[in-house]
Amino acid sequence: MNLAQLGLGVAVAVGPLSAIAAILVPQRIRATAVGAGTAACGAAGAVSGICAVSGQTFSLALPALLPLSGVMVTVDTLSGVFLVVTGGVAVAAGIYGIGYARHGLDGRLVQAVFPLFVVAMLLVPVAASVGTFLVCWELMALFSLLLVLAEHQRRPEVAVAGRWYAVMTHLGLVAILIGLVVLAGNATGDSFAALREAARHLPPGVADVVFVVTLVGFGSKAGIVPLHAWLPRAHPEAPSHVSVLMSAAMVNLGVYGIVRVGFDLLGGGPRWWWLLVLVLGAASAVYGILQAAMSADLKRLLGYSTTENMGLVLVGVGAAGMFASAGNTVLAGLALAAALLHVINHAAFKTLLFLAAGSVLHATGSRDLDALGGLRTRMPATTAAFGLGALAASALPPGTAFVSEWLLLQALIHGLPASGVTTAIAMPVAVAAVALTAGLAVATFVKAFGVGFLARPRSAAAEKASESPVSMLVGMGLAGVGAVVLALAPTLVLPALGSVAARTVGSADSPTVVDGVTVRLAEVAGSLSPLMLAVALVAAIMLTVGVLRVVATRRARRAARLWDCGAGPLSARMEYTATSFAEPLQRVFDNVLQPETDVDVTHTRESSYLVEAVAYRRRVPDRIERRLYQPVLKLVSAWGRVGRRLATGSVHRYLGYGFYAVIAVLLVLAVTR
Amino acid sequence: MSDTTYVQLLDLACGGLLLTAVLVLWRRELVVIIGVFAAQGLALAALVEVLAVHEGSAELGGVAVGILVLRAGVLPWLLRRALAQAGPARRETRPLVNVAASLLAAALLTLLAYAVSQPLVTLAPSPATHAIPVGVTVFLIGFFVLFSRRRALSQLVGFLLMDNGITAVGFLTTAGVGLIVELGVSLDVLLAVLVLRILTTRMRETFGDTDLDELRELHD
Repeated sequence: MNLAQLGLGVAVAVGPLSAIAAILVPQRIRATAVGAGTAACGAAGAVSGICAVSGQTFSLALPALLPLSGVMVTVDTLSGVFLVVTGGVAVAAGIYGIGYARHGLDGRLVQAVFPLFVVAMLLVPVAASVGTFLVCWELMALFSLLLVLAEHQRRPEVAVAGRWYAVMTHLGLVAILIGLVVLAGNATGDSFAALREAARHLPPGVADVVFVVTLVGFGSKAGIVPLHAWLPRAHPEAPSHVSVLMSAAMVNLGVYGIVRVGFDLLGGGPRWWWLLVLVLGAASAVYGILQAAMSADLKRLLGYSTTENMGLVLVGVGAAGMFASAGNTVLAGLALAAALLHVINHAAFKTLLFLAAGSVLHATGSRDLDALGGLRTRMPATTAAFGLGALAASALPPGTAFVSEWLLLQALIHGLPASGVTTAIAMPVAVAAVALTAGLAVATFVKAFGVGFLARPRSAAAEKASESPVSMLVGMGLAGVGAVVLALAPTLVLPALGSVAARTVGSADSPTVVDGVTVRLAEVAGSLSPLMLAVALVAAIMLTVGVLRVVATRRARRAARLWDCGAGPLSARMEYTATSFAEPLQRVFDNVLQPETDVDVTHTRESSYLVEAVAYRRRVPDRIERRLYQPVLKLVSAWGRVGRRLATGSVHRYLGYGFYAVIAVLLVLAVTR
Repeated sequence: MSDTTYVQLLDLACGGLLLTAVLVLWRRELVVIIGVFAAQGLALAALVEVLAVHEGSAELGGVAVGILVLRAGVLPWLLRRALAQAGPARRETRPLVNVAASLLAAALLTLLAYAVSQPLVTLAPSPATHAIPVGVTVFLIGFFVLFSRRRALSQLVGFLLMDNGITAVGFLTTAGVGLIVELGVSLDVLLAVLVLRILTTRMRETFGDTDLDELRELHD
């Protein structure tokens, strides 16, 4: 038994044990027990993943465990990457949950389901047969749904979010089921090895159908436009430590599915598959960050940012597929390595951001950026954590996302001369989309951090905020360490990721060469040293500040009142709010966003020339949702109304329908045979 | 056990199954119906036991014991308890379809079952597969009971009859449903009965009766 197997075994054992503990132990220590169990489970999963990435793979078949198909488990290097990400996120979320759950979330059900959700997520990437994969996938969906609904008695929006999530995740499951079953129908068995074998001689068209249908299913889990509608609803409404697991770990498994089916099971494919992935990814990235930039709800903003980042990852995956189909496997490996690195980086900074947002919610009871502000003095640790996360998410050096987006841009730019007209058009457009996304991300996170944490408090709740308990700070600290390490020393993970990506696209050698603290790209000119860059930046900033100080001390300094245009002391009402900060951007993207603005002017009774009050309301509805989902929902409800005529309320009538239907089918069988 | 004895015992058990199913349709008193249902559980257990002895499979023998305990013991006991709580209104008064018509329907359903199970029988002719139509008939009669009876308790019996039919077909076709499958199904049935019992009790507390036609008002 190697260490990968041991780690996975421990994770699978500890998770259910924590769930049992959640049911048995008294409420006082329940959150602690479950949090520790979940963290242990995640740590074991991460260890197993690290061993898998470094080459210790294993397979296991348990034919008796699941009727008809049996359970098959294989840990290979690709699943190892996702094991590490999921495990790492679970460690931070588990420890954070110890303090966060005291906030009225330490009921038996929620606490018992939490570790089970982690185990289900750990099992999805190691499943090695269609049956096992679908069971784990469904368990993951069900457990996460239960957790999303944890606070449904407190807020009615939770139930709405839960319904959206339940419907969309199950439609996604149906799509994946159809795709994999069609593929398995052409194979000798339902194990992934048999599917790989069968994919070599599939009838024409079948592979296309399988890929597109599974792309729909996995894309809906990854929150890809236009299947993202559940994500900005469910992720904010879930308890924050659950949002972390969903937003930093669960969505990645959608990407895993696309990579596993597209590259591994189907063995690559025609160029248009990957062009489709690339286009969807680019659209999601731009649309997601635009919506995030407009959002005034902190957790909703982070949810849309997840859509954006998954879009960037899919741009990388799509580019990798296009290069691979053109035969340039080294460049394909580079694009896929960039995508995988972005998965890891996104997990790190999104964990940090969601945990910090949860800490704010815990302290103030509000997610509305317009009602926050001034948290810096009262919650210094949370502010530092969110600031670090915002920097990491902004794709600016020395941020975490910068490294992976730089790699992605390198792959896209160097792919230009690769081959064909399609590539020549797609690559510059993709570069533009990634660059626009990066720019908007900076604006978004400046808004989230500046409006939410700096300046003066804009509500009584923000004024009375106090710092979160130690366990929550430890959770944030772990995520912060992860983000910093990934930002400064991506050279620690890149060699492993490079070889995983190279193996996945069928390339012989790794696309990146690590040289001390510098990353060099193989076959194309390009190198980056994040650590040196950070050191240089810090040195430059210190130099500038020092020079300014020296210059400034020549003149006498005096304290003076801040200039307030003579309008009396500055108040919190004069600050930028999230809405006002986003207004210029909203004007620029007016045609895309189509915001709804209401201005109500109330005049005084005496004269219509005098204004008593002005009320301004702005809403940015999700346009894709309105155009695409509303007609479908209308159709379904019209259908439902027709169906109600059949349902009179008599139980016997309903049973009669069933009985006569069975008899009719049997009669038809008996007559026509 | 010689082949002749095996076939005779198998036919006897299947005859018991069919007869008890028809008796459920014929009798109106709930107490009697529950007794008949218990007898059917016994017949089903005997059927599985005969198959087990014929194949010399200890696992199947264990399953037979399980079936005996659940279907001839636990389930009738639960039903009787529900009936005892129901009070004096013990007689099944007005079935939606009267007894004569019900028996006629049972005959037609039997014919249909024989017609549709022919392909299954010809697939692998053996004494066991020749008895498949009996299982299908029990299933169809159970469904008929489910939709033609008013009282919640007799509908419950219809549901259990359907399940007996499915189990019988399962054992007759494969001669060995996996132990896990049978265990799962049995647990499901037990759970369904418990839920329905609670539902019946609640209905009686709310409406003072378990006539399902009263539920029409709940229609959305």
